[in-house]
Amino acid sequence: MDQSKQEKEYGYELFPERNTGPKKDKSFVKSLFTSQFKCEIMLKLAMETSPYAKLLLSAMNSSGCKVIRDRHFACEDCDGSVSGGFDVASSQIVLCQNNIQQQSHMNRVVTHELIHAFDHCRAHVDWFNNLRHLACSEIRAANLSGDCSFSSEVSRFNFGMKQHHQECVRDRALRSILAVRKISAEEAQKIVDEVFDSCSNDHAPFGRIPHGSKDAEFAYRDHESRDRYNANL
Amino acid sequence: MDRPAKAEWRPPRACDNYWEEFKHCVSWGNGFHHYYTYGTVPSCQQWKNDYNDCREWEERRSAEAKEALLKSERDRVAEQGNFTPVWELRKEPPGDWHLPLNQEKPQDS
Repeated sequence: MDQSKQEKEYGYELFPERNTGPKKDKSFVKSLFTSQFKCEIMLKLAMETSPYAKLLLSAMNSSGCKVIRDRHFACEDCDGSVSGGFDVASSQIVLCQNNIQQQSHMNRVVTHELIHAFDHCRAHVDWFNNLRHLACSEIRAANLSGDCSFSSEVSRFNFGMKQHHQECVRDRALRSILAVRKISAEEAQKIVDEVFDSCSNDHAPFGRIPHGSKDAEFAYRDHESRDRYNANL
Repeated sequence: MDRPAKAEWRPPRACDNYWEEFKHCVSWGNGFHHYYTYGTVPSCQQWKNDYNDCREWEERRSAEAKEALLKSERDRVAEQGNFTPVWELRKEPPGDWHLPLNQEKPQDS
């Protein structure tokens, strides 16, 4: 299939800087003030301090996909309001430097995309041809990254209480699919519903749904001590 | 060289971990988030039981405590695996994960 058709079919038009060739050199001083520099600093901080990110990085390492910041992450300008993406073709996580302004947002986006990368690493996920697989990874990413925490939802003016988390996960998974695939909302909803129970119960590598950083710290601790845990079960 | 003797059994987690999980579980913040996620209040007693069993083992090497703790942890593991996966797990990581960028396969191949 020709490249432009593939671009439109799989959402690549949201990431216009992919496949545009090598970047032009900028002066060093100018480069300090760019959104790219800010993005890279926030990314480094996320990888070093967010327990969500640290756990995923460690889990990917143990699965044989060691993550190298310069190789597996790219800060770029993106279209619209998308915050990031996982580019399977290049095994890279794209961070939208023009749409991520705060560290807390960066932490969430890094976590969200690392969940996709983790799924890619440990399972035969058919990203392009199997919408159930795509939906599953989106459900997991919304469920486990803090995308649907109470505070994240309130900041979007989505006020809900009892079991609102679940509504949020369904909704965000739906939106993520519709952003990158040309299918109807009804079709996407049907697919999300089909795989929701299975995928929302798959908490790997966290072992729980982390509601906040304390949960994520405990999950990280459990992951680091998994040898002892497994040996004594 | 002789094989080293099998290490003695010890609780799957450090006893303090069980206590910290319990304290976190009963905290207001966790209760709130649990209700927001599941629509119910969390049940935390099992963490406390596990802590007590863990200490029993450490202090008195109680076989009952060990069995109770093992059952509790195995139940937790079973609960985490209580779903049918949508995809097949890999036996090896993807071959192109570590390839340098300019050697990646072109998009339309």
